Amino acid sequence: MIATLAALQSCNGIMDGIYDDPPAAPATTVDGQLYIDASDWAEWHYIDFPALARAVNDDPEFNTSSLWSTYPVPVEGEGSADGKWGIYTYWYDVFGVGISVNEFRDYRPTPAQPEPEEWTIAVHRNNVRTNGCKAAATEFNNIDDLPADAEYLESLHYEEDAWNETDVWVVQERMLQGVIGNQGIDANPVLSSWLKVEIPPMPPAFTLNDRVFVLRLPDGTYGALQLADYQSPKGLKCCLTINYRYPL
Amino acid sequence: MLVGTSVAGYSSELPAETSGVAPVEAVSQPDSLSLASYDLGELVVTGTRVPKLLKDTPVQTRLITSAQISRSDATDIQDLLQQEMPGLEFTYAMNQQTHLNFNGQGGQSVLFLVDGERLAGETMDDVDFSRLDMNNVDRIEIVKGAASALYGSNAGGGVVNIITRRASRPWAIAGSARIARHNEQRYTLSVTNRGSWIENVLSANRSSIDNYDVHSAPNPVTRVVSTIYGNEVWNFRDRLSVTPVKSLRITGRAGYFFRQLRRVDDSPERYRDFSAGLKAEWDISKDHRLEVAYSFDQYDKSTYYKISHLDVRNYSNVQNSVRALYTWWTGEKGTFMAGADFMRDYMRNDRLAVGSRSQLSADAFMQYDWTISPQWELVGALRYDYFSDGHDSHVTPKISARYSPRYDLTLRLSYGMGFRAPTLKEKYYQFDMAGIWIVNGNPLLKPESSHNVSLSAEYTHGHYNVTVSGYYNNIRNRITTGVPYYRPDGDTQLYLDYVNLDHYSVLGAEVALQGRWNNGLSARITYAYTDEHTGRGKDGNFVASQYIPARKHSLTARGDWDKKFSDKYSLRVSINGRALSGISNVEYRDYYDLSAGTVSVKYPPYTLWKLSVSQLFIGRIRLTLALDNLFNYRPKYYYLNCPLTDGINFQAGFSFDIP
Repeated sequence: MIATLAALQSCNGIMDGIYDDPPAAPATTVDGQLYIDASDWAEWHYIDFPALARAVNDDPEFNTSSLWSTYPVPVEGEGSADGKWGIYTYWYDVFGVGISVNEFRDYRPTPAQPEPEEWTIAVHRNNVRTNGCKAAATEFNNIDDLPADAEYLESLHYEEDAWNETDVWVVQERMLQGVIGNQGIDANPVLSSWLKVEIPPMPPAFTLNDRVFVLRLPDGTYGALQLADYQSPKGLKCCLTINYRYPL
Repeated sequence: MLVGTSVAGYSSELPAETSGVAPVEAVSQPDSLSLASYDLGELVVTGTRVPKLLKDTPVQTRLITSAQISRSDATDIQDLLQQEMPGLEFTYAMNQQTHLNFNGQGGQSVLFLVDGERLAGETMDDVDFSRLDMNNVDRIEIVKGAASALYGSNAGGGVVNIITRRASRPWAIAGSARIARHNEQRYTLSVTNRGSWIENVLSANRSSIDNYDVHSAPNPVTRVVSTIYGNEVWNFRDRLSVTPVKSLRITGRAGYFFRQLRRVDDSPERYRDFSAGLKAEWDISKDHRLEVAYSFDQYDKSTYYKISHLDVRNYSNVQNSVRALYTWWTGEKGTFMAGADFMRDYMRNDRLAVGSRSQLSADAFMQYDWTISPQWELVGALRYDYFSDGHDSHVTPKISARYSPRYDLTLRLSYGMGFRAPTLKEKYYQFDMAGIWIVNGNPLLKPESSHNVSLSAEYTHGHYNVTVSGYYNNIRNRITTGVPYYRPDGDTQLYLDYVNLDHYSVLGAEVALQGRWNNGLSARITYAYTDEHTGRGKDGNFVASQYIPARKHSLTARGDWDKKFSDKYSLRVSINGRALSGISNVEYRDYYDLSAGTVSVKYPPYTLWKLSVSQLFIGRIRLTLALDNLFNYRPKYYYLNCPLTDGINFQAGFSFDIP
């Protein structure tokens, strides 16, 4: 009996081997992939693909996840001159009926969104915006399968960024009630479709769209993007693993 | 010595010495046919931990037999209890985690046992009810009211003991399959062997149902559900018993449970349980018996990330326990029983501030059962519990009396204390709920304690049986989450702490009428009244709950007609249903602005009925067709606490039993 009691003291369970230990977040990524923790509700993260291509060209082992910059979403302060920037509050998922049912509640002016001088795309949780680019969805699920010939790239249907005041969720305080503050901002509807958010359930459910997207930059060059994963190894949502190729 | 009953190739064996316990064969009352009809000649063990005839036990016990389980066609304990027990309702938390309300007691105050053993793990304070499938269950014994004097913590509101079958034939194979709407599927298989000194029972169960959407009317007044989440469940159990000498039986068991829930398609939630046990039952002599048991139960929760193929565990509760139980039949009129448990409870949870916690608990208890005369019987029990975390301890008494002035009338009176120690989760949880609020454990929580009084009268005559009972339960320091609050330093974060409530009480009554006639007809109708007085915090403030209180009026009913046309064909037609009154629940109008006050949310009454036709061919093959939710009830608004049904459901089932 004593031996049994002693054995019990140390028994913290069995079958540990069937589970996986979450690996640490990838500290470094090389050419072709980026890892960005975009989970913060109040931050945009900016990526400059030409600069990234130059860095990788100089050093093939360059850590691609080190070359992006973060700017906060302004939620307070003086309103911008054009009177358009601000927090647009909507009531979503009215009593659980679904996210498509929403009602406008409030507008609060804010300063314009700060951004770096050079950038190509910016990511915020499930949202993507571009710096004057256009984006198109393809039928491919692997960048390697994407035809890079000009005829194919020009045949795609491209869309530019469009004004949005219901999808860029930045104020979380009353989320349980479905009352969410959005940043009014231009966002790209095609690229933003790579990660769909649904309420209910609460917390929201995320659905990954792993199609390859083609990006046409203002200078006429092309790039390809694919969202490979949206969770950190520990399950934190909106930690984005992005496969990319630039230039095509 | 073992006595027992036999059902369909199995036997339910209970240890019972002839001293102090009348064997089934010895029952010779003028109405012995009626006793059999109402299962009063069955042995039950849960109320006193000593086998007693249902008609004789001083502790009122509701018995659900294997025949009733078969008729119910229930998949798991949740299905079954809702059909059989009024005053019992399963409600749902925000993400459809199931919560039990059993005569005003939550799942944390009703102890669920399988063959007398506790279950590890919880979600929102309730055990995982889908673990408790009805495959290979011999009977379920339900003791209402405080039973902490015998079972310790968590038994303040009652005990539900699921007792599995034992093999009675040299070999037998039984299986079943059932399909229904929303791709609901259920398959069971049991293989049993029994030799002169060895016995094995192996059972496997698989059930699954898809997610499906439901639609509410416009303008609900509070949150509604729009998707009902399905499950995929696997359950395996094996139990091997050897009897090296007539007076000694050694039983080993092992089990594995797996459930997957796809709330989010690419990261389904997984729940697993690993269980094992070893038990020795030794009949030392005609009057002395000793049972020693070791039990292991591990309940894990994990999330499977499909994209990265990682199965990451975020919760584990491991319980290791040893128990000794000694019974002495002191003569014609007395039975003495004493026992002790030792348990190590380990919890690993990402939401615990330090990752994992463990505590040791120990208890000792004794009971004396005194049969004063054929009419009078008295049982007294006393228990001491100790928990190492916080050094909580508690002494819990219980006394029960039976008076049978006539052979067909039994009166029972019981007083007992209930007790529940705060769990490691309630003490040390620290969980940021998606930025909405932070749920905080409270290391200063006191144990819950309660005083419970119950009284019942049971009358059996001819084709009829009537039971009337009433109870009052007064609970101090009930543990729950309190009022959301902001800390005084200007922090904008909301906090939700576990607290002790001041007073909380439940007053209830139940009337059950049964009839069984020679033409194959039988019927049972049970009405329950439950008046729950929700408690307030120690500061006198109202404490809102996401769960509705017990509905004041509820009723279950069933009628069966059994007809044997020949040795090769028999027919059973059954109808059963339940009806629950509406209820209003006072809830915060706005959890983020408590100054907005509260609003009364009305949850409407509802009734659900099931009609089934079952045909038995050559005594071995059964075909069952059923219409569940017969009257096509659909809630107007799928509020959290509504029955999760979207209308009439056709079910078709098939089962076999060889030989």
